[in-house]
Amino acid sequence: MAIIEVKGVRKGFDGLHVLKGIDFSIEKGEVVCLIGPSGSGKSTMLRCINLLEDIDAGKIVVLGQDISEIRDINAYRSKVGMVFQQFNLFNNMNVLDNCTLAQKRVLKRSEEDAKKIAMEHLLKVGMVDFANAYPSTLSGGQKQRVAIARALCMDPEILLFDEPTSALDPEMVGEVLNVIRQLADEDMTMLIVTHEMAFARDVADKVVFMDGGIVLEEGRPDDIFNHPKNERTRQFLARII
Amino acid sequence: MSLSKCFEILGKYYPSFLLGVRTTLIVAFIGTFIGFLIGLFVGGIRAIRPDKTARSSSVIFKKIVDIFIKIYVEVFRGTPMMVQAVFIYYLVYTNIVRWDKMFAAIFVISINTGAYMAEIIRSGIQAVDPGQNEAARSLGMSSMQTMMDVILPQAIKNAFPAIGNELIVNIKDSSVLMIISITELMFQSNSIAGTTYRFTETYFVTAMIYLCLTSLSSVVLNAIEKRLNNTKTSLPQSDTSFKSISIAKEDL
Ligand SMILES: Nc1ncnc2c1ncn2[C@@H]1O[C@H](COP(=O)(O)OP(=O)(O)OP(=O)(O)O)[C@@H](O)[C@H]1O
Ligand SMILES: [Mg+2]
Repeated sequence: MAIIEVKGVRKGFDGLHVLKGIDFSIEKGEVVCLIGPSGSGKSTMLRCINLLEDIDAGKIVVLGQDISEIRDINAYRSKVGMVFQQFNLFNNMNVLDNCTLAQKRVLKRSEEDAKKIAMEHLLKVGMVDFANAYPSTLSGGQKQRVAIARALCMDPEILLFDEPTSALDPEMVGEVLNVIRQLADEDMTMLIVTHEMAFARDVADKVVFMDGGIVLEEGRPDDIFNHPKNERTRQFLARII
Repeated sequence: MSLSKCFEILGKYYPSFLLGVRTTLIVAFIGTFIGFLIGLFVGGIRAIRPDKTARSSSVIFKKIVDIFIKIYVEVFRGTPMMVQAVFIYYLVYTNIVRWDKMFAAIFVISINTGAYMAEIIRSGIQAVDPGQNEAARSLGMSSMQTMMDVILPQAIKNAFPAIGNELIVNIKDSSVLMIISITELMFQSNSIAGTTYRFTETYFVTAMIYLCLTSLSSVVLNAIEKRLNNTKTSLPQSDTSFKSISIAKEDL
């Protein structure tokens, strides 16, 4: 069953056409990597799926429901986790509170339940010893691992990553990618915008190449990276690898 | 001017001065506190941006509320507090109810401070990284929850120096409230000067007392600000003591 179906999605900002008819789908348990040059609309696509932006035309169907018809947007968003390039941990609270806040406010979990679940996920990302630390004392890689744990605490159906390692020092990229890889092994459904091609080749079930607001090519990583059909894909890969 | 005369006046009239200090501090502290609450409310509303997915009726409602807030802020920042005090005091006194002067003074200084605080809180909110809002919303938190739990605590911390400055301003500027004859420091000084006929000495003592009050407040405010920055938190969130965490660990 497809968890996400994107059909003919268009989106513009004051006359600037960013998405010009996007189609792709994600099956349950699948890891899809979204690649493409800067400005091609990858972040905009993720934001539309999370309803941080609304679309001009087309349809996004998540778990069988057209998301433009959803009444309880907050409940929907809690099921579609999002991990940002700039981490966006809440600066005014420590790691544990970062992970429990939305559980208590949105899922109405008790303090103890929320804490217990938070500690489980912090353990998974290797940040349990930092539960009391404030974000400003953490490295970029540590912050991003906490951000992933925070998203996992909501029991999301799917996780959206927007260039999760682009703001990191090179030596910290690995620790974050390892966490994502581990989630892939656990059959977490994920849509990952990334410039880490080696990682995409390794972890993705499907790679979608976007350029100029349309999907130029999609397929298994082996096909995209080794036998790209489209000239633009070939050029992009030659430049980035 | 003779210093010994100053001490003489202080020695003789210190109960009057003390009453003045007491009233001034009460008016300044309560006024700043209520003004802060008004500022949180008004500034918070001002800073709310309707969702991309919000209904058009609520967008229009928000615009109307914004206009009223703007008028409030402009009027109270654009006129002297002394004028506001007499106008509001007599307006209410002659038309509505014969209200207590002290109550009127606190009312005026509170809404006056509220107008300044609203702008302080609003710019404090705008200084918070928009990513904080997006992260909270992406987790499913409502705009109200996001404001209360994530944005406002950071905005208050950002704006703390400006908020503290309002207290110091109020300690000094509450002096204009003597116009409605409350027993604050300036009003008391006027009476003392009127009795002793030593204007220079009396007002020198008054100035020194104001200076002590404001310096003392500065020291306290700086200490609080330092603490806020050290603990890297502005409002306590929940129990994250070592004990509760180690319990959670054992549960795993
Ligand atoms: N809120 C907005 N208002 C106006 N224009 C926007 C807005 N958000 C994005 N854009 C524009 O849309 C285009 C696509 O942006 P987007 O961030 O989706 O690209 P991207 O593929 O994620 O690029 P990058 O790899 O640099 O992150 C850009 O030209 C950008 O300037
Ligand atoms: Mg982007």
